[in-house]
Amino acid sequence: MGLLYAVVAAGLTLIFGLMNVVNFAHGALLMAAMYATWLIHRSTGLDPLLQLPLVAALLFGTGVAIYRVLIARTLQIRVNGAMVQIFTTFGLSIFLVGLAQLVFGSDFQSINASFLGGRTLAFGAVVLPLPLVASGVVSLLVFLALFRLSRTEFGRALEATREDFEAVALIGVDRDRIFGIGWGIGAAAVGIAGVLLANFYYISPDVGTNFALIAYVAVALGGFGSILGALIAGLVIGLTEALTALVVDPSLKQIGIFLIYLAVLMFRPRGLFGKL
Amino acid sequence: MKRIKRRTVLTAVGASVGVGFARRARAVEEVKIGAVFPLSGNAAAIGQDARHALETMAEIINGRHNIPMLLGEGGGLSGLGGAKVKLLFADSQNNPQIARSAAERFITQDGVVAVIGSYTSATAVTISQICNRYQIPYISADNSSPSLNRQGLEWFFRPSPTDIDFTKAMFDFFAAIGEKTGEKVQSIAIIHENSVFGSDSAKLQARMAEAAGIKVLANISYQANIPSLSVEAERLRAADADVVMPSSYTSDAILLMRAMHDAGYKPRAIMAQDAGFIDPAFIAAVGPLAEGLLSRSAFAIDAVKQRPAIPAVNALFRNSGANKDLNDLTARELTALQVLGDALNRAKSTNNMALRAALRATDIPGNQTIMPWAGVKFDETGQNIKGNPVILQYQKGQWRAVFPFEIATAAADWHIKR
Amino acid sequence: MVERAGRALLSRRRRELLLGAVVLALLAALPLGVSGAYLRGLIVLALLYAGLSQAWNILGGYCGQISLGHALYFGIGAYTSALLFTRAGLSPFIGMFAGGLLSGLSAFLVGIPCFRLSGHYYAIATIVIGMMAALLASNWDFINAAQGITIPFHGEAWRNLQFRTAVLPFHYVMLVYAALMWLIAWVIEGSRWGFYWRAVKDDVTAARSLGVSIYPSKLAAAAISGAATGIGGALYAQYVGFIDPESAFDLSLSVLIALPAVVGGIGTLWGPLLGAAVLIPVQQLSVAWFGSAAGGIDLMVYGALIMVLALSRPEGLVSFFHPRARQEAVDHG
Repeated sequence: MGLLYAVVAAGLTLIFGLMNVVNFAHGALLMAAMYATWLIHRSTGLDPLLQLPLVAALLFGTGVAIYRVLIARTLQIRVNGAMVQIFTTFGLSIFLVGLAQLVFGSDFQSINASFLGGRTLAFGAVVLPLPLVASGVVSLLVFLALFRLSRTEFGRALEATREDFEAVALIGVDRDRIFGIGWGIGAAAVGIAGVLLANFYYISPDVGTNFALIAYVAVALGGFGSILGALIAGLVIGLTEALTALVVDPSLKQIGIFLIYLAVLMFRPRGLFGKL
Repeated sequence: MKRIKRRTVLTAVGASVGVGFARRARAVEEVKIGAVFPLSGNAAAIGQDARHALETMAEIINGRHNIPMLLGEGGGLSGLGGAKVKLLFADSQNNPQIARSAAERFITQDGVVAVIGSYTSATAVTISQICNRYQIPYISADNSSPSLNRQGLEWFFRPSPTDIDFTKAMFDFFAAIGEKTGEKVQSIAIIHENSVFGSDSAKLQARMAEAAGIKVLANISYQANIPSLSVEAERLRAADADVVMPSSYTSDAILLMRAMHDAGYKPRAIMAQDAGFIDPAFIAAVGPLAEGLLSRSAFAIDAVKQRPAIPAVNALFRNSGANKDLNDLTARELTALQVLGDALNRAKSTNNMALRAALRATDIPGNQTIMPWAGVKFDETGQNIKGNPVILQYQKGQWRAVFPFEIATAAADWHIKR
Repeated sequence: MVERAGRALLSRRRRELLLGAVVLALLAALPLGVSGAYLRGLIVLALLYAGLSQAWNILGGYCGQISLGHALYFGIGAYTSALLFTRAGLSPFIGMFAGGLLSGLSAFLVGIPCFRLSGHYYAIATIVIGMMAALLASNWDFINAAQGITIPFHGEAWRNLQFRTAVLPFHYVMLVYAALMWLIAWVIEGSRWGFYWRAVKDDVTAARSLGVSIYPSKLAAAAISGAATGIGGALYAQYVGFIDPESAFDLSLSVLIALPAVVGGIGTLWGPLLGAAVLIPVQQLSVAWFGSAAGGIDLMVYGALIMVLALSRPEGLVSFFHPRARQEAVDHG
């Protein structure tokens, strides 16, 4: 589970690392990805696992679109820039949830006949559900991919653009294009998470909220802008949640996560690996 | 000039003294009834179902469907000269403040004669309180929290059984089936979501278990809408009680069943506190995992012999846009409107005082409804004392009534022996 | 030159005060033109949120600390007052005082560690603390845990702050609350603290070079903001008659408290009122009008509105009235 949190967080941190934007619509994007998976599965019978590249591409496009239509505008604004971004994406999130409810109804849907669903994998004495394992594996792959990306030309351009986009414009880098792609990748990451989740989780218009919240905590814990941070934080959170539930009443297990977050931030106000 | 002044003075006096409003009874074409349910948000499915249920009953009253039950002949409300029932719906978003505003709007702007609601206890509290202040009856269609009829309100009416009745039915069943098959329940594991529904339910279950000498091996509470219940499922598996007793809403119910399955745990018996577990969406989501699941219910859809109106009503419900069978919640909501309609007929007036008197005098025999109850008769707190719950079991794709044995339509599948 | 600027400032301040008095009078007379419990109730809510948002604005707008966990203080105020009323029979006027004290203290305590965090880290920390409070409250039996507290009608009386069906008294109560918050903000705007905070917001290093220690003043702002929010919570509890962890500590409430200020104009005097005047009716009416139709439309309307407002008027709705402010925003952009 921790890795899944991490993947959602990765997408978020990328977007943030780009331009100091906290995307409050992340949860809604996750929900969109899950619905997309469900729809495609229902109409074409394509197994979720095989849908990964398809939905990732779909979300990529959505991310770019969101950037172009909404976010680019927010960058023109210097006054209260951060607030505008927060509340724009927040409004977007509410809008998307409403839209989903309108289109899909609020009943729960789920994918029953998937390749991974319901099977388990045994490692000696430990029995793990296959969907979870697969999610873990894919999540790791996504992280590796993101890592490599940050080391490439593009990744560096991304970083530079964030630091000082005026200077960067001078050397011919189109900020809008770079950021657009960055948003696309971030959205694709959460899209992959959505597909993986759809394998074993139920789907409803509200499903994104809880995951998104944990993602935000993960990103802040790991440090805004750090991909490695998001990964580590995601894992820490997953672990903490499980441990806390064993020790105290499970309804309080999220408190463990929150306490860890606060504790870490007392000592490292920029998160574990934060660059900002 | 003088006329206007007098009216203004009267209104001012009336408002400031807070006198009960006496509505003039006059010949009516239609009777407006307000319904407040969560029509959006995460309980929207329930709210929309409630809407279909109420619309179905309104259709039965207003149309001519000749269904073998009270008000089934249709043709409007006979006691009011054939007046039609007009339903007004408002979304509560499960928010107590919005629910209260909606009820207030219905009462002050739309002139409803009564308000029906509301699914959650929190919204029921605010709605019933504001109805009480305006002296308009509130019919609690599907709120089961026992504390609601103990608020000291005089305009509160609840046809449906409370959680105390429901939980008692569960333990009565344990005792009875234990007697019958020799496999007595000796231990239970409780798992509940931690809002008012789950917590109340768990408290009752723990108390009744203690009284029955049954050990409570685990009492797990979890935060509703949490992403994962795998840890909780593990704890249940470790406890390995005779019966697992969950109280969850739909999404958590799905999560729990899957989590237990993933943990390789198949409980010997599961006795659910209704809610999410009887939601058709739950069944659709977990498929074969639901086989053998037991739940309390206020409604038994297969009790057709004793309640011949069920097939016709169910057909109407399906066609109203719901596309699913009646279940515990929708049946109760439908019946609530039936009770209200009956009271309106007997009151022969839309005056609130007359309506309340008629409600208080309600005495409907069970076989005039679709519910497996002995009947509908309210005590001084507005609670129906003749509503007895049943225990259902999901057998081969259908919910069958298995208790009380007198109205059971199938034998319970009960194998808890180790 | 300086003298002239000083005098201009004074007269601006006086004009604002005058404007405030006029608006107050208008709002006080408003119910005479509006009848019907529902519409009046709408105004009551709008006024309450205007006050709550102004309280938030003190910390978030003027001081620059964007808190998304203000529901914590709201909840503490609401619960304190409700508990004192239902269990000890104390008048809500005492209850709100006690509630305000407790919530102000909490805000102070929260500020101590959290003000070290910057921007987004701070925001998420406040979210986290808010959620923890919600979780703990749902499990604390002393306050009835998830069941919430019902505040039964004890008879119509000002002492009880309860009225059978009359909405008018609450209109004036909330009006006083909102007006008080406005006044506090006005005072802060002209005070030394206000000056320091504006300086810090614009340029942190410059402020530091002025030798300004802002930490204690921030804590004071937090305390005031928290206390004021708590009082609002107590008022809400008496008005609606029921509170539970979900309605008093939820994250969506925190956002709803901050939203009017942001939409109306963060860090401005009139922002919260304008924002509340637009947002609350939209939210309530969209549920009332669209909620009963296909579910979801009301959410879409609400969400779309927030997006449009945030994008088109980032300086807030106040810019409709201060064209100069908008020009400044665009210039510096």
